[in-house]
Amino acid sequence: MGHALRSYGTLIGMAAVILFFWVMLPDTFMTARNWINLSQQMSMLIVVATVMTVVMAVGDFDLSVGAMASLAGVVAAVLFAQGHGIAVAVAAALAVGLLGGALNGALVSLLGILPFVATLATLTIFSGVAFLVSDGKTISGRAIPEAFAGFARGGIVLGGGERPLVLSWLAILAFLGVALVWLVLEQTSYGRRLYALGGNMEAARLAGIKVARLRLTAFLFTGVGAAVAGLMYAARVASANPTQGDGLMLTAIAAVFLGMTMTRGGQPRVLATLAGVVVLGVMDNGLTQLNVDSYVREVLVGAIILAAVSISAIGRRAVGMR
Amino acid sequence: MRHLVLTGVAKAYGPTLALRGVSLDLRGGEVHALMGENGAGKSTLIRVLAGLERADAGEVTLDAAPLRLTGPEVATAAGFRFLHQEVQVVPGLSVAENMHLAHRIPQRWGLVDWGRMRAAAAAALTELGIAGIDPRVTMADLGPGDRMLARIAATLIADGGPEPWLYVLDEPTAALSHAEAERLFAVIGRLVGRGAGVLYVSHRMDEVMRLADRVTVLRDGVTASVLGRAAMDRDRIIRDMTGRDVDALFPPRAATVGRVLLEADGLAGGSLALRAGEVVGLAGLAGAGRNALLKTLIGALPRAGTVRLDGVAVPPGPTAAWAAGIAYVPRDRRAEGVMLGQGLGRTVSLPHLGVLARAGFLRHRAEARLVADSGAAVRLKARGPGQAVAELSGGNQQKVLFARALAGRPRILLLDEPTRGVDVGAKADIYALVRRMAQEGAAVAVASSDLAELIGLCDRIVLVRAGRPGRALTAEGLSEAALLAAIYDGEAA
Amino acid sequence: MALTFSRRAAVGLGFVASVAFAGAAAAEGERIAVITPYLAQPGTQFYVEAFQARAGELGWEVNVIDTAGDVAAVISRMEDVVNQGVDAIVLNVDPAQVGAGLDAAAAAKIPVFGMDAGADARIQANITSNGYAMAAETAVYVANRIGGAGNVVMFTFDPFPPVQVRGVIADAVFGNYPDIKVLDRITPDVADGGIADARAKMEAVLAANPEPGSIKAVWAAWDQPALGALQAIEAAGRQGEGIVITGIDANPQARDEIAKGGNFEASVAQDFAGIGRTTADTVARVLGGETLKANVIYVPTKLITAANAAE
Repeated sequence: MGHALRSYGTLIGMAAVILFFWVMLPDTFMTARNWINLSQQMSMLIVVATVMTVVMAVGDFDLSVGAMASLAGVVAAVLFAQGHGIAVAVAAALAVGLLGGALNGALVSLLGILPFVATLATLTIFSGVAFLVSDGKTISGRAIPEAFAGFARGGIVLGGGERPLVLSWLAILAFLGVALVWLVLEQTSYGRRLYALGGNMEAARLAGIKVARLRLTAFLFTGVGAAVAGLMYAARVASANPTQGDGLMLTAIAAVFLGMTMTRGGQPRVLATLAGVVVLGVMDNGLTQLNVDSYVREVLVGAIILAAVSISAIGRRAVGMR
Repeated sequence: MRHLVLTGVAKAYGPTLALRGVSLDLRGGEVHALMGENGAGKSTLIRVLAGLERADAGEVTLDAAPLRLTGPEVATAAGFRFLHQEVQVVPGLSVAENMHLAHRIPQRWGLVDWGRMRAAAAAALTELGIAGIDPRVTMADLGPGDRMLARIAATLIADGGPEPWLYVLDEPTAALSHAEAERLFAVIGRLVGRGAGVLYVSHRMDEVMRLADRVTVLRDGVTASVLGRAAMDRDRIIRDMTGRDVDALFPPRAATVGRVLLEADGLAGGSLALRAGEVVGLAGLAGAGRNALLKTLIGALPRAGTVRLDGVAVPPGPTAAWAAGIAYVPRDRRAEGVMLGQGLGRTVSLPHLGVLARAGFLRHRAEARLVADSGAAVRLKARGPGQAVAELSGGNQQKVLFARALAGRPRILLLDEPTRGVDVGAKADIYALVRRMAQEGAAVAVASSDLAELIGLCDRIVLVRAGRPGRALTAEGLSEAALLAAIYDGEAA
Repeated sequence: MALTFSRRAAVGLGFVASVAFAGAAAAEGERIAVITPYLAQPGTQFYVEAFQARAGELGWEVNVIDTAGDVAAVISRMEDVVNQGVDAIVLNVDPAQVGAGLDAAAAAKIPVFGMDAGADARIQANITSNGYAMAAETAVYVANRIGGAGNVVMFTFDPFPPVQVRGVIADAVFGNYPDIKVLDRITPDVADGGIADARAKMEAVLAANPEPGSIKAVWAAWDQPALGALQAIEAAGRQGEGIVITGIDANPQARDEIAKGGNFEASVAQDFAGIGRTTADTVARVLGGETLKANVIYVPTKLITAANAAE
């Protein structure tokens, strides 16, 4: 009983949530169009939550992803405004992500600062730099190249005639990101070593794992991933301001935690994280369609997270009685 | 004289019968040992006594009156006190404060009366003959032995409740040096002299033989035997615990010893050589640096000198050491060895991932085969490679680490307290395995504080002091007393 | 209907249903979604409430969605309500930032309206206040009060387009009076809204022009710098020189100062409730089949002086 609850509680809950919306919204919820919408809406969160899974596999976490997403968007937009092309702006934003990730990694793994403290500090720094770079303004309008904003609206046409069904590039990018991180974490020795760090850092060191180096590299994922998400966000809203990605951080962590309640041993796993994102995205999507008040929606989403984690904790305790 | 009697106590967890009918007869003024293999029911029995678990069946009487152990507060009121091997203390507080954690703190004008608090702590320490612990020092500055003694003394501080009379000590010497253990034994003597009873739970035969007035042996959740001093006999106890004879606990020694495989120098000024086919014991008091010596060899601590394998210098760091064929089983398996929450296969394959991957991608089938083969070689009992290490018994957790060590076909095997917290059956498996590895040409170094183990398992025993390997003794024919004397001699010299 | 509804609710999260669907089952009138990232801001609340009041009279079912500052979420919620098949969407965000959502609505032929949002070809109409007119009101008020002659200090903020247009108009008005000289055109640091930095900048201007009468007026493109200038003048003890100060927006603090009858004489109030009401009426016209000619609809603003500041 406890085992079933722990392993499948969240999955059952997820199925219940989807079934509920399906029944309540028979005409619009379980439609290709809605799920294509969902995939596009969740794409940025998917990217951030996926890379967050990497650092959480190591037993760390990164609070600076939201600020980094904002910063990357602003950096690209400012370069656009100065007349640079898309390639330059995107490359610069990704480079900023890589540098920021390296900074986080160095602070945590080389200097030994707690990830909470280190990334809280870099969150503030990244956010401050984003304000500096943008003068606190929203950069929008003609400064943003049509091709850049168009990327967020384009995609692969799946059919639909007059109102075409388009699987957006954003969603495709997000799924590619999931596939890449899944390969890294589940199929490579590198990924296995990352999990070993998360499982027992000292044991990993004594087993010949190069702890400091590996731990640092995990933060490169969050840095670059956050920058990618920030660019996706900027493309979707065809503008950038220094705070627009900030909300991604807490939601991403929530998604990883939700996912952890589905895995054996409570490990952060990529596909489980994806399921966590889907739960959160479906809640927003379905409750909006049901005309549920925005604030009630927030309360419900928080309650669902608590319920999932509590059920998992209770299940674990039941198993741990032996 | 106080008298606690348990009759026919049973406890099931789901379909698992942890206790099937345990009887226990405990009197004030005696040291009563409780022995049994891991899984025999010792822990469950202690939890029942502590009121943490409610027995499904059976009777408990205290001084002939029925006692219903419905919660921890009942156990406390009945005068029971429990001390575990890793004593729970608040390291940042003083000894006196720690000793008052469970008590009303003396106050004056609403403020802590430090003088009275220290005096009470000092009085309790003196009562047990523990000189040398200053109640004012910080707990973090005490060794594990003194922490335990302070905790025992704390129970003597009067708090208006019923006086404690039964001390349940669970593997109390596991983390203690010989000297610390001696001080504990003296304190146990004082407690018994005051009329208290001690339930002494231990795997350590020599301690039980020395301390206990009686021993209750559990096997598979039932009381297998209760032996008085006259009937207490090492082989008899082991037979009752395991249901089999113990002549074969230690395998036969090496007939021949091969050439030198590993040479290390710059070890606090000393050097060490390990030969193929040889099992070398490292003996010394706690804190003598046996652990640091092994960690230096595996590269986890910085080296002053060089470590050569087949004459070739091994670069620093654990990565290079494992790659060169040196395997290490750490002392504290939970903190330094296994990944508790993950499948056991992941712990086994961790140092060998480089070999198991092609272009960075794991070959899952090769990994599964490696885990299965090495698990079988150590007779690991588990549902499969995905079973979390945390769900295994202590002995099987240790076997996971042995499987990991031998999976890489090591030339050198470094073992730190390889049977700590492991039951007798698993011990025999581990000893056989160590000897087989040596026979297959590996050189083995074993650091242990279990003297019988060192003598029984090893070919040669090297005395370690202040991190420096010194005199070597031939294990064959050595008595524990002679080994202990040699250890102390080395310390005095 | 009610019966099937309750049976459905029992299938899944029944509690959600009981908490949240006051209106879902009763939907017979038009369904309108109002989406804003800025519901927490006072002005937004005024027009959303007025919109809801008018919509209630019209028998509509209104779903107000606040994304708490997240603009991308506005697009997501637009996609959701398009999918849900609402009859109209009302936005309170720069349309340039939610182009993807506007495309989705256009594809589904759902009309979108801006409530103080900004102009866009895909929006039926944006209902807002006329920023040009507001600036003209206060600039002309200043020119008249100082008799068309003297030195004027301007506080402007060109990086923000809605405020930038106000400066343009004031420049034109003052330029049309040959005897009015713009002493300084200051862009304050707006980190705290502009009061503190405007005060510091104004103190410097006062120090540089110590003669009474050397500064006739301060024209500010919004209220905060006007308040800062007022503080500087009072701190310098020069409130008796008759320096005229005007702001725009008529926020509560500005109204208090104007009501005192001191140097801060005038500001312009937007009619937020009017914007909300007019938006609802505009939605009704379009749903009624009318095609709008102008895609910006201005709601009149009101000059606030000591005479009406307390209203």
